Amino acid sequence: MTKRPFLGWFVSPAGLVALGLTAAMAAVFQFSMRAYIPGSLEVGGFTLQNFAAMLRPLYALAFWNTILLCFETAAFTLILAYPLAYALVRTRSSAVRSFILITAVTPLFLGEVVRTYSWMIVLGNNGFLNTLLVKLGLVERPVQMMFTAGGVIAALVHVTMPIMVIMLAAGLSHIDRNCEKAAESLGAGPIRVFLTVTLPLSMPGIIAGFSTAFAWTFSAFATPQLIGGGRVSTVSTLIYQLGFSSFNFPFAASLSIIGLALSLAVIALLKQAARPLERLASAT
Amino acid sequence: MKRSPAVIALRWSGRVLVAAILLFVLLPGIVVAVTAFNDRAILAFPPQAWSLRWFGRAFSYSDFGRGFWNGLTVTLWASSIALVVGASFAIAIHRYTFVLKSVLEGILLSPLIIPHYTIGLGVLILASQTGTGRGFPLVILTHVLLVLPFVMRSTFISLENLDSRLELAASSLGATPGRILLTVTIPLLLPGLLSGWLFAAILSFNEFTATLFVSSQATQTLPVAMYNYVREFADPTLAALSVIYIAVTALLLSFANAFLGLEKILNVDAH
Amino acid sequence: MLMHTDRIGVTASSEASQQGRPAVQLDGVTKRFGDSIALHEVWLKIQPSEFMTLLGPSGCGKTTLLNLVAGFLEADSGEIFIEGALVTETPAHQREIGIVFQNYALFPHMSVANNIAYGLKTRGIDRKEIARRVDDALALVKLGGFGDRKPRQLSGGQQQRVALARALVIKPKVLLLDEPFSALDKNLRGSMQVELKQIQRELGVTTIFVTHDQGEALSMSDRIAVMSAGRIRQIAAPGDVYRRPADRFVASFVGNVNVLTGCLVERRGEVATVSVGDMRLEVPAAPLAQAAIGDVVDVFIRPEHLAVMSGSTPGSLRGTVSTQVFQGDHIDLYIDVAGVAREPVLLRAPGIAALSSCPVGTEVRLMVRSDDVVAFSPGASE
Repeated sequence: MTKRPFLGWFVSPAGLVALGLTAAMAAVFQFSMRAYIPGSLEVGGFTLQNFAAMLRPLYALAFWNTILLCFETAAFTLILAYPLAYALVRTRSSAVRSFILITAVTPLFLGEVVRTYSWMIVLGNNGFLNTLLVKLGLVERPVQMMFTAGGVIAALVHVTMPIMVIMLAAGLSHIDRNCEKAAESLGAGPIRVFLTVTLPLSMPGIIAGFSTAFAWTFSAFATPQLIGGGRVSTVSTLIYQLGFSSFNFPFAASLSIIGLALSLAVIALLKQAARPLERLASAT
Repeated sequence: MKRSPAVIALRWSGRVLVAAILLFVLLPGIVVAVTAFNDRAILAFPPQAWSLRWFGRAFSYSDFGRGFWNGLTVTLWASSIALVVGASFAIAIHRYTFVLKSVLEGILLSPLIIPHYTIGLGVLILASQTGTGRGFPLVILTHVLLVLPFVMRSTFISLENLDSRLELAASSLGATPGRILLTVTIPLLLPGLLSGWLFAAILSFNEFTATLFVSSQATQTLPVAMYNYVREFADPTLAALSVIYIAVTALLLSFANAFLGLEKILNVDAH
Repeated sequence: MLMHTDRIGVTASSEASQQGRPAVQLDGVTKRFGDSIALHEVWLKIQPSEFMTLLGPSGCGKTTLLNLVAGFLEADSGEIFIEGALVTETPAHQREIGIVFQNYALFPHMSVANNIAYGLKTRGIDRKEIARRVDDALALVKLGGFGDRKPRQLSGGQQQRVALARALVIKPKVLLLDEPFSALDKNLRGSMQVELKQIQRELGVTTIFVTHDQGEALSMSDRIAVMSAGRIRQIAAPGDVYRRPADRFVASFVGNVNVLTGCLVERRGEVATVSVGDMRLEVPAAPLAQAAIGDVVDVFIRPEHLAVMSGSTPGSLRGTVSTQVFQGDHIDLYIDVAGVAREPVLLRAPGIAALSSCPVGTEVRLMVRSDDVVAFSPGASE
């Protein structure tokens, strides 16, 4: 009897799929270095012109905006998700826990389009928020929220909340409660216990959540597309525009490559910066 | 009771904060639900009159119906394929060492980081280069790529929690590796496999970005159909559809919570 | 002297601790969890500098009691006093207690020194003084120089010592220990017990120690409170708990004991006579107050109080050796005694002579060599 029964059976299908993925990514790589022939789906010879074009301010700005957007979204999501995750893990009422869980997690399973659409109704000039503000007399005319970066961020935060809550809650649930009790017994009030024990020990969850939120937001398309309406330019909307309006696949491909490289670089930087923080919380 | 006023204030402000955040999370859902019953054809709030006609339109609009069945087809194929491929690979990773192990693992987990539009673009370019049409197989392949990481992770976690001594006991009683797999390993992994499959299916059904790139008019799934509708029409039909969506999902999740323990699936066990 | 009520204050045999007010006092404390009652109107007084052990099986309520004293749980009724001050409503972080957990609960994100300094920082003590006291604390637990290490770099025993230092450095009014040594291996446990006792004596800190290990309780305590099902069965010095258990539960939980069937023969004031087979034994009369002459009683005899006699001795028990177990410094003999014991009677024979002199199947005669025999009515409070 071999030591690895069924190895071939287990690995080959996965190997095939991996091959498929690699081929798809290779296709993107390859296209990024081909010339664009306007008006046709054919591509020309090899060139680095696509990458050169990216240094133009229009595109450089799009990259910068996207990264900024992702950071802001991740940060706001973290701030809003933490109290929910904390309540989820620490509440003693199972009814409350179920309620928070279902409420927080359901949006995850609704898909981008449904979620983004509902925000369109909230943010529109005749939508919920504006109607409320005008009725309450806080503003005279509707405030422009659709087609702004702020609106996009609000919707993106909403979209990212579930995954952040889940990751934070997972981290929080693994904290040894006895450490908090020990801190209490040593004279620390509830706030001090939270700041000196709970928060540091939840760092792994915070880091995992922040990085995931960043990566997910970078990947977001429907939300910036529908709420940004072409006026909030992100890497994803640009790529779609180039691919499906002008059929400039080579340029779209090169944008993808650089975008991917950038987001990987940022995530790697985040992980590096987080290493001392993570060591804080590593248990025995 | 610890009657210190500071503690009481802290507790109540915490509750208010959590309630406010929950309100933020629920807001769009509530707004959509109310809008769906609006009698008028504009996306205005609050509705002047009430009606169910948008629900009727949601059900009767042919693109939605076709999108639903397309989506179901793609999802069932993709999540099942992903289950078989992903679960068996996860077993291999968990127990064996082999050539290219970490490379393969890295490649298959990469869709968690690679934007869906990049993967969609890549598959699209690959299809055009190899002359493959934009039919169902292409969409299914894309979805398999996207949901595989979740199946792998879910299976891996289940494997971690599996007591390997059970398999050793079976082996000592004379069972062949194949028999052990079928009669011990897989039955014990079943909850994890099931939840992985469910997770994959839901994510696949709702997947939009990559599907937008690789699907065609004939193969478009429900999310794509909904997206196209929004770009053309501005009436509350989509709101009605969203309400149906939310209701069904919340119901499914409540069941999952009651029977499988959602917390366990998401690894959020509170002590 | 036997103590037999729920409302126990101080036992007569520990009159040394009757000076002044108690360090910890519980008056009729009850705690419920949902429908089940974890603690049933517990009354307890612990004297200053006393080492009190709460001993009992899991679920008996000992940890609940500890948590109530610490302030992590709120009593449903009753009052708790620490050094005379009512603390029932006081939150844990204001009670000035030190607690050592079974899993140490050291702050993994802080160094050893910062762990120990934590309680001093919350009290606003200045940095130089903190450093000095941390060094003293480390020296006390024999971990001088370990200040910069992280908990995960220490062994289990070392972590436990840091936990102890952290709890002691704040000069707590009460030191609480929740089964602190159960995660350590046997040899380490033994040396930690000795060390803890030395430190406790040196500092004179009132200590409440929770354990299910009766050997631990017997060796370390000034007094033991034996608990079961939310009630205290007996509070007494270890010797009294062992030699004069208050009821059946204490008799069987603490130490090994043989239960033999006997008969109440006579009662004379504080002493009663029971017969077990041909043997006549004197036992305390108090637990048998409800029994009538001639009633069947259960007689509890510890293994080390039985001896094998050579030849036929009047008033001895006749039995057959069924099993021998070599225990290193003594032999455990299991002897079937018909008519008197349902299970084989356990007897400790010192040395290894019994291996050859009493092989399996031998007919032997047993005598009781002690005054510390107790008897209880069958089916009495368990």
